[in-house]
Amino acid sequence: MAAMVAFILFSIGILALVLRRDLVIKLLALGMINAASILFLISIGDRPGARPPIQIPGEMGILADPLPQALVLSAIVVNFAILALALVFVMILVERYHTTDSIRIEQEMARESEEEETLCL
Amino acid sequence: MIARWILLALLPIVAGISLAQSRRLSAIIGMGLFSFVLAAVYLLMHAPDVAITEATIGAALVTAIYVLAIRRTGRLTVVADEVPRLIAREGDHITGLEYEILDGFARETGLDLSIQFVPLRRVPWLIAHREADIGAGGIIPLEEAEGALLPTPRHLKTGVYTFPARSKPREVPATVPDYEGYFSELLTHGRSGTLSTVVTSLDLARVLALGRAGALLQGLDRIDGEYGYAFLIAKRRAKLRRDYADYLARLSTSGQLDDMIKRHFS
Amino acid sequence: MTKDRVQTILAVGIIVAFAALVGITYANSHPHPADSQQYLARALEETGASNRVAGIYLNYRLFDTLLEVLVFSVAVLGVRHYLQQSKGMSLPTLSESEVVQTAVSFLTPLALLLCSFFAIFGHISPGGGFAGGVIAASGLLYVAIAHGMKAIETRLNPWRLALAEKAILLSLLIFLLVPVAVGRIPLSDLLPKGTPGQLLSGGSILIYNILIAMKVFIGAWLVIAAFAQHRGEL
Repeated sequence: MAAMVAFILFSIGILALVLRRDLVIKLLALGMINAASILFLISIGDRPGARPPIQIPGEMGILADPLPQALVLSAIVVNFAILALALVFVMILVERYHTTDSIRIEQEMARESEEEETLCL
Repeated sequence: MIARWILLALLPIVAGISLAQSRRLSAIIGMGLFSFVLAAVYLLMHAPDVAITEATIGAALVTAIYVLAIRRTGRLTVVADEVPRLIAREGDHITGLEYEILDGFARETGLDLSIQFVPLRRVPWLIAHREADIGAGGIIPLEEAEGALLPTPRHLKTGVYTFPARSKPREVPATVPDYEGYFSELLTHGRSGTLSTVVTSLDLARVLALGRAGALLQGLDRIDGEYGYAFLIAKRRAKLRRDYADYLARLSTSGQLDDMIKRHFS
Repeated sequence: MTKDRVQTILAVGIIVAFAALVGITYANSHPHPADSQQYLARALEETGASNRVAGIYLNYRLFDTLLEVLVFSVAVLGVRHYLQQSKGMSLPTLSESEVVQTAVSFLTPLALLLCSFFAIFGHISPGGGFAGGVIAASGLLYVAIAHGMKAIETRLNPWRLALAEKAILLSLLIFLLVPVAVGRIPLSDLLPKGTPGQLLSGGSILIYNILIAMKVFIGAWLVIAAFAQHRGEL
């Protein structure tokens, strides 16, 4: 069930990344892909009837696997770092082209490089 | 177990709805909600550490910085072509008749005024694509102009001039003036006397400003007809247009508009 | 072939590859691997931390966590650098109503308390330095919303904060190099493990958590402040 949901979330993220033209929403889709991968890893570490991987003295039960959880913590922080830095780059692009539409920015850049070429000639 | 299934089923729904939003703010808040549901799912999957980290970083911090970055509500974004005396920079602040009107309107509606100077040809596109609320800077709406943009009532009468067919090219001056966009192009051509090769007609405010900046403008012919400056507002912003029309009507009945015009075009 | 076609094919390929990955991994994952339980039993003695997640990422995988801290620092540095270059606007002079101000005067101490709890008890209960630091930074954000950014900037100079962040990072690195002086490899844990469940247990994990919490607090606040000064550019 959780693996299925992770797959659906991953697909939604990839589709939004390709289909949406707004750069900010593209970044959000990137964050969602990351979340889907994390959800999948957590769901693998979970076992039926398990307890959280925190030892309470005197209690002996099955614990959820702590290894994926420990690895995933880094992934969340790195994801934040990527999103914050990418957002700054989007802001710089917007300052220059006055739009967050990726296709429009591509057109403007093509126009600019054409203008530069004609100036060189 | 049931709680986990419900939350897991909720995740793709929240994700799909929030990434399909056309407003960026809705999408970001939807993603914040998504992160929160995800944190609850992690908690139910016996991963409390990951749940806490996801809730603090994913739901709180990322949402906070995105909302700060796009903060558009409570903000009146104006894109304008720079025209001296209508709307132009002077030192580090902006002056002009249109600026004064917009500033008063923003103050009355309690919005932060933010002005970006862009070339005139980009103004309609930016308004139509929701990148800005109002377009300004010597815009003369024509009768047949329509589409996604609607002009506001006129705030200043003006005249339009055409060029005679003669022109003699001259050296372009080395000092390009400190204006952005369309007006600086006009000024460069005006000083070299090649203005008639790039435009067919000019309005009164630009003619006056070009003349003061030393452009060559002999023998302009005035076109007959009633022309006036107005702002551009997108068609779907009906409330903004109505509010602005009310504000302008009050301004002109109280005589403040005439005072402003006198001050800027004495 | 057009650009759109290539993009669509790539997207479909990625989705199919991820589906294969998920399916194969899911089919091969065992619900109760015996090795894993033995490994878990040994880990408690070796790390001394009853929160096993903290035991793994601040003891066995400390190098991973160190690089994670470095990535976070680089992101803070990048955000501040590029936002300083772009022309900023004046500080927002937000000043909220008395209701908000009263709520904030209650919420911010709570956030700081939660931060210290997560940092100090990170090896016993869920939490840890990263979550604690971010919670404290959001506590400062409440103050900024209620009283305006200027109220904070006059008390906490961003330049000095950035300096303090680097000083904390440097002290963390020096602390990690101390074992070299006594002939051990870097990153090895010198402090006694103690009884799991006690406050003073888990070796150096407590110190790492407190240092990381302070560093992340300052870093996250610097990012929020940078975005608050350039708000509304998109």
